[in-house]
Amino acid sequence: MSKMLSVENLSISFRTDEGVITPVKGVSFTVEKGRTLGLVGESGSGKSISTKALMQLLPGTARLGAASRMIYTAKDGQQISLGNLRHGSKELRRIRGGEIGMIFQEPMASFSPVYTIGNQMMEAIMLHRGLKKREARQFAIGMLNKVGISNAAARVDQYPHELSGGMRQRAMIALTLSAGPALLIADEPTTALDVTIQAQVLDLMRDLQRELGMGMIFITHDLGVIAQIADDVAVMYLGTIVERGPAKEVIRNPQHPYTQGLLDAIPSLDHLHDRLKPVPGDIPSPTARPGGCPFHTRCTQAIAGTCEVHEPPETSAIPGCAVRCWLHTSQGRSAA
Amino acid sequence: MLRFTLERFAGMVVTMLLVSVMVFLIMEIPPGDYADRYAFRKYSGTGVNVTEADIEAIRRDLGLDQPMLLRYFDWIGGIVLRGDFGQAFAFETSVAKVIGDKVWLTAGILFATLLLTYLVSIPVGIYAAVRRGSAVDYGLTVFSYLGLALPNFLLALVMLYFANRWFGADIGGLFSDQYRDAPWSLAKAWDMAKHLWLSAVVLAWSAVAYQIQTVRATMSDELNKLSVTAARARGVPELKLLVKYPARLAINPVVSTIGFDVNRIFSELPIVAVVLGLTELGELLLKAYLDLDMNVAGAILLLLTFAIVFMNFLSDLLLGWLDPRIKLGV
Repeated sequence: MSKMLSVENLSISFRTDEGVITPVKGVSFTVEKGRTLGLVGESGSGKSISTKALMQLLPGTARLGAASRMIYTAKDGQQISLGNLRHGSKELRRIRGGEIGMIFQEPMASFSPVYTIGNQMMEAIMLHRGLKKREARQFAIGMLNKVGISNAAARVDQYPHELSGGMRQRAMIALTLSAGPALLIADEPTTALDVTIQAQVLDLMRDLQRELGMGMIFITHDLGVIAQIADDVAVMYLGTIVERGPAKEVIRNPQHPYTQGLLDAIPSLDHLHDRLKPVPGDIPSPTARPGGCPFHTRCTQAIAGTCEVHEPPETSAIPGCAVRCWLHTSQGRSAA
Repeated sequence: MLRFTLERFAGMVVTMLLVSVMVFLIMEIPPGDYADRYAFRKYSGTGVNVTEADIEAIRRDLGLDQPMLLRYFDWIGGIVLRGDFGQAFAFETSVAKVIGDKVWLTAGILFATLLLTYLVSIPVGIYAAVRRGSAVDYGLTVFSYLGLALPNFLLALVMLYFANRWFGADIGGLFSDQYRDAPWSLAKAWDMAKHLWLSAVVLAWSAVAYQIQTVRATMSDELNKLSVTAARARGVPELKLLVKYPARLAINPVVSTIGFDVNRIFSELPIVAVVLGLTELGELLLKAYLDLDMNVAGAILLLLTFAIVFMNFLSDLLLGWLDPRIKLGV
C-alpha cells in the first residue's frame, strides 16, 4: 500500500481575545491508498481542525506550527506540500475537491439552499472534470444514481430542502465524489442521521471507497462506527493523538485509559441493567490546557508526580500500535 | 415564477386600490374644503358679506357638494380611465399641468438616488464583511456613523460649496439657465444628469451608510455558513464563490426594503430641495395642503404610494428570484 498523505507534527494555533490557543499540537498520521483512517475523539479534540488545515479551510486567525509537514501525493504521483500552497492559487483549487473531497456533518447546511442539487454538482463537475454543461448534467445524474437516489433525472433539479435527511447526505456524497477526489475526508457524516439511515450511508461509503480506490479519513466520536468502517484508528484528546494503530487491535485491546473509557461508554445490549459509564469529568477548555499529559485531570490511573508534570512520549508496546501514556513506559511503571 | 409573479401582481393591484381609498380619506380629514378657502380668498378685504349660501354655490360649482362615495369614484375613475387627476383649484388649471414636470424630476432624483445607494453600499458592504476587522472595515464603520449622524441639508450645503469650487457646477437647481425652459432634448437630459448627481449623492449618503452596515452584517453571517465552506472545499474560485453563495443571500434585507427607501428619500427630499434649489413634489405637497387644494395633494400622495407599492412588487419579484424558497412557499 502506498502512502497518499503524510502529516507530521501538525500544530495549529489561533489568535483569540484571550490569547493564543493551540487546539492541535504535534499531530502525526498517515493515510494509505484504499484504506480508511478513523479519527476519534470528543468535541473540541481537534479532529475537524486538523483535516481542515489540509485544505487551508481554517479562518485567517489560524497559524500552523513551524515544524508542521503535510505531504500529499497527487493522482499523477506529484508530491505536494499542502501547507505551502498559495491562497487563491490554481493548484490549491485543484486540490480542493479534485484531489481531496470533504463531506460534512450537516447535509442540509452544506448545500446552498438557493441552488438546485444539480446546479451545485454541475459546478464541481465542470470545474474539475472540464465537462460542458450538458455532459456535466448527465454525469451528475449518473452520480446520483450511483449513490442510490431513485429517479435521479428528476432529483437533479430539486432543491436541497425537497430531499429527506438521508437522501441529502447521499446527494452530498454524490456531489463530493463527482469532482473525482482521491482522498475523501468525512467529518461525522452520519452523526445527524437516524440510526437505520446511518448504517445505509456507512455501507454506501465503504462500497464507493472500494470501488473508486479512495483513501479516506473518517472523523467521528463513535468508536462503534469506527469498528464498522475504519482500517486504522487514531484517538485524539485535546489536540494530541493519544493512541493509534489498526482499528481491530485498538478496539480489542485498548492501551490508553482514554480509549478504554470511550469503549466502556458505548451502551451495550448485553448489559441493559447496568448504568452507562461515561468518561468522568469534562473536556478542559483549550485556553486552559492541562500541563503534562492532557488527560491526567480525568484519568483514574494517573501517576501522581509524573502525569501532571511531564508530557508522555509515544511508545509502541504492540507492533503497529502506538500510545502516549506513562503507564506504558518503563519509567512510568517504576514510578507507579 | 409566472404564477408567483401573477399572485404578487394581483396583490399589488388590490393594495393600490386600498391605498387610494386611504389617500382619499386623508384628503377629507382636514376641516373645511376648498370652497371655504376660495370664498375667503376672493372676498376677504373687499367688504362683501359672504353668506353660507354663497359658499354653498361655490361648492356646487366645484362639484364638492356631491356625496363622498360619488366623489371618490369620480376621482379614482378619472385617474384610472383617463389619467385625469382633476382640477387644481388654487392654480386654476389641471393637476396634471401643475405636477407634470415635477413628477419626472422627482422620479429621476428618486431613481438616481436608489441606484447610487445600491451600487455603492452592496459591493462596499460585501468587501467590509470579507475584510472584517481590517483597517478598511473600521474606516467604513466610522464613515457609516458619520453618514448617519450628519444632517442632509448640512451635507448639501458643504457639497454645494465644494462642487462649485472644484467642478464649477452652478449652484442649485436641476438645469443650467439655458436649458431651464427649453423643451426636452438629449442635451437637456445630459444637463440634468450633471446637476442630478449632487442631489443623488446628498440623498444617498445616509442610506449608503446604513445599507453598508446591513450588508456587512448579513454577509458576515453568510460567510460563516457551512455551505460556503463546503463550496470552498470543492475548489470554487473565491470571487465567484462570494458572489454565488453568500452575497446572493446577504443582499436579501436590502432588496426587501426598496419600498422603504423610496419613502425615506421622498421624506428627506424637501429639506434638501430647499438647499439645492430643486423644484420637486414634496414642497408642492406641503403648499397644496396649506391651500386645502386636495386634488393636488391627493395626486402627489397617490403617486408616491403607488411608487412605493410598485417598488415593493419589484422587490418581491427580486426576492423570489434571489431565494427560490420564497416563491416555493417553504
